[in-house]
Amino acid sequence: MAETRTLGELLVERGVSRRAFLKYSSYLATLMALPPSAAEAMAEGLAKARRQAVIWLSFQECTGCTESLTRAFSPTLEDLIFNFISLDYHHTLMAVSGEAAENARLQSMAENKGKYIVMVDGSVPMKDGGVYSTIAGRTNLETLRETAKDAFAVISVGTCAAFGGLPHADPNPTGAVAIQDIVKDKPVINIPGCPPIPDAMTGTVAHILSFGKLPELDDLKRPKAFFGETIHDRCYRRPFYQRGLFAKSFDDEGARKGWCLYEVGCKGPITYNACATLKWNGGVSFPIQSGHGCLGCSEPDFWDKGGFYRPLPTPLASVREHVTEAAAAGAVLGGAAAWLARSSQNAYKSETKKSEEA
Amino acid sequence: MTTLLAQNLNSELADAVFREIPVLMQRLLDTGETGTIDLRSLPMTDWDRQQLATRLGEGEVKAFVTVGGTSTVTETQFAGVWWVRHEGADGRIAAEQVVVARAPEFLLAHPADIEAAQRRLSAILSGSAEAQFEEAGHG
Repeated sequence: MAETRTLGELLVERGVSRRAFLKYSSYLATLMALPPSAAEAMAEGLAKARRQAVIWLSFQECTGCTESLTRAFSPTLEDLIFNFISLDYHHTLMAVSGEAAENARLQSMAENKGKYIVMVDGSVPMKDGGVYSTIAGRTNLETLRETAKDAFAVISVGTCAAFGGLPHADPNPTGAVAIQDIVKDKPVINIPGCPPIPDAMTGTVAHILSFGKLPELDDLKRPKAFFGETIHDRCYRRPFYQRGLFAKSFDDEGARKGWCLYEVGCKGPITYNACATLKWNGGVSFPIQSGHGCLGCSEPDFWDKGGFYRPLPTPLASVREHVTEAAAAGAVLGGAAAWLARSSQNAYKSETKKSEEA
Repeated sequence: MTTLLAQNLNSELADAVFREIPVLMQRLLDTGETGTIDLRSLPMTDWDRQQLATRLGEGEVKAFVTVGGTSTVTETQFAGVWWVRHEGADGRIAAEQVVVARAPEFLLAHPADIEAAQRRLSAILSGSAEAQFEEAGHG
């Protein structure tokens, strides 16, 4: 399983030129908001890298994250990433192989000690000795601890693995916890979303391969390249927000004209993700473009934040007032609205906490 | 009330990009350093993109590269200013750049590819049965 040839050598054998690396790297640089000049360095890095051993564990999850990954954007471009990794174990895909699959996992761990990446989807049940989810007769906790022990890094794929997700929602009957609550001695990267955007998963792995290090993360351990801005920051409906034009219900004139969904509960202003730029289903659309507000699925505890249709608390009058003042002062309109969005996120957290305490 | 369509708005980014290009051209002339503007990382509207393409126009060179989908490299009416569009196999745009260079790096053959090609060609000339089999299109 341990690969000695570089990715460049592997592709040359298949008759694929270095232009493929450069094209893929240009695509990744765009996705990850890297300087365009980084594409050439990334291409060189990828060509010199060796196939990355990956072990994929599935715990309390719905398999939507794997479904998402298999629907990555461009078949040929994304085929490249599957050439870049050696998926030595995937619990869901290899379930029928039983003991042979478990042996493949142990063999990969031994041959790639300290170098392999563990990708996990799903949360880990801790209540009652972890009996609510077991694989090959072992609890998820045992499997995770054993597999992560000699890993280079652990990538939590999806909101369940990153923050507990749906299994963690009140009343959390299985005592579900996130991967980062268990793995404390290894780098953990969170790629939340229900499901996460496939390009965020492949882009993160490609970044590690190209540069030999983890991408820059935010305070919730999410790659800033994909989670550095809110949905609202990049929403195509934002010009309507700045003009104070809002849909009041899902069937009114504003909704038909595609106005901002802020007043029908859109969580875009407090949700950090790249849906508005990368979109879904091969770039066809994303929830807001399809007429529904953002649910905030890449944020912790999004199920328990008081309702998907409850508007964020910042008074709209003050939004309009601040935006107008900023415009009058010649400032960039987005700056005022973005500042208010972040204020709104803090206010929302505070209000939700108060209602929970009450 | 007139319906406002976000993609028809002028964000003035086309003008900003247009003004950045001569700065990159001057740097290329002075130092030989190439420059790239990543159009997809900017929140440009369809109107902005169309406006920029119209102002840059098309020049003498247009090249197509088929690798992981089609890439189109077009020299604009301004020498050394290239519009590079990478598409995936499904035709969707994966990356779009304005490159300021004598020729975009993407068009140049990489030394590693030349080396592999040279080995292959030498094998054909030396009469390697395997290489001749491949040359005949059976590889």
